[in-house]
Amino acid sequence: MRPVFAFLLLALICACQAQSDFEEGDNDNDFAEFDDEFVGSNYYTEPAAKNAESNSAGEAGGAIGSREEQVPPRKQTQIVDDDEEDGLVEEDDEFEHFQDEEEFEGYDGGDAKDPPIDEQAEPKLNIPNIPLHFRTHWDSYWMEMLMVAGLLAYFANFFAGKAKNARLAQLWFSTHKALLDENFALVGDDGKPENESPGLIKESESLYTLWCSGRTCCEGMLVELKMIKRQDLVSLVAGLMRPQLDTVHIKIDLTRGLMDSFVFAVGSKKTITKVFKEYTDLSKFCSLVGKPEDRYNVPNGFAVLSEVPEATSAILESRIITALNKYQSYIDYLHISDQFSGPIQQEEGNTLKQLETKPVLLAGFNLPKHAEMETIKPLLLLIFYLMERLKTYRMSKEGKSKSDKNRQRVEEEFLKSTHAARAEAAAQRREDKRKQEKERILADEDPEKQRRWEAKEQKRQAKKNAPKMKRLAVKSL
Amino acid sequence: MSNTVDPRRKEKINRYKAPKNQGQGGGANEDMMPDYMNILGMIFSMCGLMMKLKWCAWFALYCSCISFASSKASDDAKQVLSSFMLSVSAVVMSYLQNPAAMTPPWAS
Repeated sequence: MRPVFAFLLLALICACQAQSDFEEGDNDNDFAEFDDEFVGSNYYTEPAAKNAESNSAGEAGGAIGSREEQVPPRKQTQIVDDDEEDGLVEEDDEFEHFQDEEEFEGYDGGDAKDPPIDEQAEPKLNIPNIPLHFRTHWDSYWMEMLMVAGLLAYFANFFAGKAKNARLAQLWFSTHKALLDENFALVGDDGKPENESPGLIKESESLYTLWCSGRTCCEGMLVELKMIKRQDLVSLVAGLMRPQLDTVHIKIDLTRGLMDSFVFAVGSKKTITKVFKEYTDLSKFCSLVGKPEDRYNVPNGFAVLSEVPEATSAILESRIITALNKYQSYIDYLHISDQFSGPIQQEEGNTLKQLETKPVLLAGFNLPKHAEMETIKPLLLLIFYLMERLKTYRMSKEGKSKSDKNRQRVEEEFLKSTHAARAEAAAQRREDKRKQEKERILADEDPEKQRRWEAKEQKRQAKKNAPKMKRLAVKSL
Repeated sequence: MSNTVDPRRKEKINRYKAPKNQGQGGGANEDMMPDYMNILGMIFSMCGLMMKLKWCAWFALYCSCISFASSKASDDAKQVLSSFMLSVSAVVMSYLQNPAAMTPPWAS
């Protein structure tokens, strides 16, 4: 009994070995059942298995016979596996037709069999033809390069121009500081309570201002240094076509009552024509003087706007004329007015009140091209001189009456132009007043008062609605 | 032209008040350049973003540069910054959508 048991054990081991061999082959290759090698290797294990099970299946005739017998055990194992894992069964069943060669008739047989995947070798990639413009062609980006270069140039110019403007403004200030200190108690104010940074105030990269105050004759002086926009490349290029200059604008608020009432302006023809249209006081009070060179000896290319000829000739006295001649290229305009109210307002119809006017002395100078600030220093002295002159100068009686007449005329014109608007405003006020009264009466408890007011109101309405007629006295024939 | 008497008066000192929205002297009105450039930059940025015109986006960048250069010190810096950001985003977006080189408007 024992040898038989030992033999059975051996046969079982052999059968297991054969099975594991088969499964390994199956794992390696799906089509292993057609592999000759497999058939051969199986051939030798077959008798042992047969003997062990004592099956009377008959003699193993050949390869075909062995294959037919080999297939069922495999299926059996698969079924066993399937019982254990249901998900796997379905997957196998679902994709089984992919392994069936008859399913893909006419399909390339070579492709049907998956080539063995070699993990070491990289997969071969097909690169399609890329359109030309997607390739890095730096030459084609010439416009972008141009734009970036333009931006770089702009910023380089920005820093250079900004620095130059600041330098010029500082140069002007340092040149005139001593003179300003002599004339003003306060030089440079930023408007803050503590006056943190006395000196020039930077309004923008091309505009610097300086406020001075504390002097006789005036309330304050505002100096504006308007530079060429050197920080802006576009403005610089535009400046090539229409040359510009660095300018200084001085505005002095004169003390009220300091000067007699008159309006006057002198300056280069171009500027004077411009300001004549722009400023309210000049356009309303002044007229352009014909042939000023002969009448007032102003240099050629200068124009004069005058209200009272007497005052004009008093201002344009010999010292001023000398200064005008000497600094002709630097003086842009001088504007003296007791009625200054700024540029003409566009929506004048809406304003019912006349604009507030104040006495001012305005001046505009061009800065020298090569930053020789000393050359224009006397111009500031000219301004101080003019201020003193305005303080002392008094017009004759005729002149005064003329200027008073002019002011009256302007006021009348203004009243006339705003008559309709003012009448409308008055009507609105009346209506509001009536509404208020009505509310007050209605709020009152006294019915007698209310009745009386209603009767009065009705009478008023009737009178208002009644057609306007004239009573004519008809003479009896 | 010189004065012998000291013209300075400490009691007459008036503090500086910023002018109210009005051009001073010279008859020159307030410089509107930064505002115009800001608006122009915004329009160009929008055109660049919506219509995918690269040259519009670039112009917007230039406009915001000009606006920045000529802006006043008292102006709101946020406005200039937002204009910058908008134009830069217009350029970036137009190149993200289509990295091809720009063709000048007259060439297309």
